[in-house]
Amino acid sequence: MSETQPYYEVGDRVRILDLGKPGHVRTPTYVRRKIGIIERYCGMFENPEERAYGRLGLPPVALYRIRLRQMDIWPDYDGQSDDVLEIEIYDHWLEHAGENL
Amino acid sequence: MVNKLITDIGGDEADSVLIGDHEQLFWEKQMIATFNLLQNKNIVSTDEFRRTVEEMSAEYYKNSTFYGRRLDGMITLLIEKGFIEKAELDAKAKSILNAGTRDHV
Repeated sequence: MSETQPYYEVGDRVRILDLGKPGHVRTPTYVRRKIGIIERYCGMFENPEERAYGRLGLPPVALYRIRLRQMDIWPDYDGQSDDVLEIEIYDHWLEHAGENL
Repeated sequence: MVNKLITDIGGDEADSVLIGDHEQLFWEKQMIATFNLLQNKNIVSTDEFRRTVEEMSAEYYKNSTFYGRRLDGMITLLIEKGFIEKAELDAKAKSILNAGTRDHV
């Protein structure tokens, strides 16, 4: 987890975690446990999971845009194999996923 | 067991998306303006508003509307934070309804 600077670099393979955290979260279930790559670093933001309950959400957390292949998300996906979905995910919902499938 | 929010509908079975224009009513414009003002003054936040929506019952959420959710959320937050009291709001709403002046909508 990073507090002041981005931890992941563009192109890093990451797994989106399933933290099972109750309350307001910004990581929909359909991308949890899925692997994608860091498309860009979006900046540091006050944590919405804290802000949702009237707290300040500090320290800020890093937000990344993750690119996932549609076929990696939906088991029965019948579109183009290079179709992607991009979604913004906070740092603490990510872990390194190694080099290859 | 996955803890799924009522707004977390990606991948669920669903009917086709309803496409159509909604003419914005006067109260909706006023209400959105009020919400934006409260947000600019750091009295309510988008994250808090989203949380109030997620706390709605599934049945209530299903029958709710875009502007209805925004109004409900704003009221919930203003009561939570002590800016208004529910009894006071109910009394005011009742007096408006009793007066029968519906031209404001």
